[in-house]
Amino acid sequence: MKTSVAVLLICVAGASLPAAAGPDKLGSAVSRSQNVHMPEGALNFPRGEGSDLANAQCVICHSVGMVTRQPPLSFDEWKAEVTKMRAVYGAPLSADQIEPIARYLTAINGKP
Amino acid sequence: MNVDFEYRGPFSDKRRQLMRALTAGGLTGLAGGWASRSLAGNAVTLPFENGMRELTSSFPQKGEMLLLRSRPPLLETPFSVFDKGVFTPNDRFYVRWHLSSIPSQIDAATFRLAIRGLVGRELNLSLADVVNGFPRVEVAAVNQCAGNSRGFFKPRVVGGEWGNGAMGNAVWTGVRLKDILDRAGVKAGAVQVRYKGLDEGPISATPHFIKSLDIDHARDGEVVLAYGMIGQPLPLLNGFPLRLVVPGWYATYWLKMVNDIEVIGQPDDNFWMAKAYLIPDTPHANVEPGQTGFKTVPINKMVPRSFFTNVSDGSVLPASQAFTVRGIAFGGDAGVKQVLFSSDGGAYWAPARLEKDYGKYSFRRWDARFTPRSAGPLVLKVKAVNDNGVAQPDTPNWNGGGYMRNVVESASVIVA
Repeated sequence: MKTSVAVLLICVAGASLPAAAGPDKLGSAVSRSQNVHMPEGALNFPRGEGSDLANAQCVICHSVGMVTRQPPLSFDEWKAEVTKMRAVYGAPLSADQIEPIARYLTAINGKP
Repeated sequence: MNVDFEYRGPFSDKRRQLMRALTAGGLTGLAGGWASRSLAGNAVTLPFENGMRELTSSFPQKGEMLLLRSRPPLLETPFSVFDKGVFTPNDRFYVRWHLSSIPSQIDAATFRLAIRGLVGRELNLSLADVVNGFPRVEVAAVNQCAGNSRGFFKPRVVGGEWGNGAMGNAVWTGVRLKDILDRAGVKAGAVQVRYKGLDEGPISATPHFIKSLDIDHARDGEVVLAYGMIGQPLPLLNGFPLRLVVPGWYATYWLKMVNDIEVIGQPDDNFWMAKAYLIPDTPHANVEPGQTGFKTVPINKMVPRSFFTNVSDGSVLPASQAFTVRGIAFGGDAGVKQVLFSSDGGAYWAPARLEKDYGKYSFRRWDARFTPRSAGPLVLKVKAVNDNGVAQPDTPNWNGGGYMRNVVESASVIVA
């Protein structure tokens, strides 16, 4: 592909914008590889009946905070969420594990 | 808004120890590993149940952020950042990923972007091809999560429980999607452009995160494949090396780490278009809790919003002294025509002064000067009207997804 040294600056929105970094500066910065470290977050749920199941299943896809920072949910609402994780996102749960996990989640972050 | 909660506005920069917040949040008993891990840190508490958020600086290329979820990362911009300027610094720009297998390493030399499907010739572009091979364009635009402010929904809904900080404004530098598609040559019969990034679910059964735009939208000249964010490469967590910028539309369409663009001949029926990110096809995407049987459509254009950035609930203002209240506004899919400010709970509204215009998709800073006359509680309100004449509603919308909140914002202050 032909590369052009002179880079055309066009303002899409039609308003004046702050001057960007020089074309070579941004272009060469973009050409540098990135390599970062990502924190993995908490992998262990609060201990209680059903926590082993939650530790084995929920954290495959997301850290614990996603659950504890939800609003408190009823058993039926938690059951619907766990069912969704299985049916939609493919969580490798057996059908008979849905209710025990929902009971546990209701115990740690539930409402009547 | 309930003043019992301690929202950390710019006037109250001191932080609360996590232990206090933990107790206040009602999370007692069952204290497990997740809690004890963060006892040394600081936290803020957003004004809704389970709103405690650890302040974290442990994510790459990111400064202090509100931790909503570590993996895949959900990081909220502390609201005080929005008081500091019209553009959101890259290291404070919010972060939202759906799937947890995110490459932590991107090799700029071997990265390739594929353009395929209903095109005359398929392209396989290197980063250098993208950067040097097309006209360079810039646009100032707000990127806002569809579920920004979800935590304020009443009744509450599940999802990413954001306060108001799942948004940011940047100057995006890149190339027009139109120019790339033209290079490939879009064939007759093209209906949509479907695009995908490098992130994946940890298990193969999880649907890839894929989004689509109608072909005319993709080729309107405004949609940009961005490699620059305020003159710098995008932080990896914001989508390095290439992110789609869809001005005026919710961020679910602003896919990160884009490496695959496919022109398709039928409406996309993949999960993330056909089943997720759907809104009620009603005014303000509003329905009654429990309501069923309404038509749904994929979420699309943003709606206007405005915020206070130098006052928040519980701020104390001196009586009989002139005070300049200020904030940010954006028009959604159009420019900001007017920002209206009320210092009496919404009975009387006066136009605020608008600062410099960086383009119709950008944040616009505003300010208004007023003198609180008598001591006591006072409710300040702010409302944006966009260039299409659309104003923020006085009552909040509700839908089960927690999408598109844009109610008029209030600050309950104390005059003393």
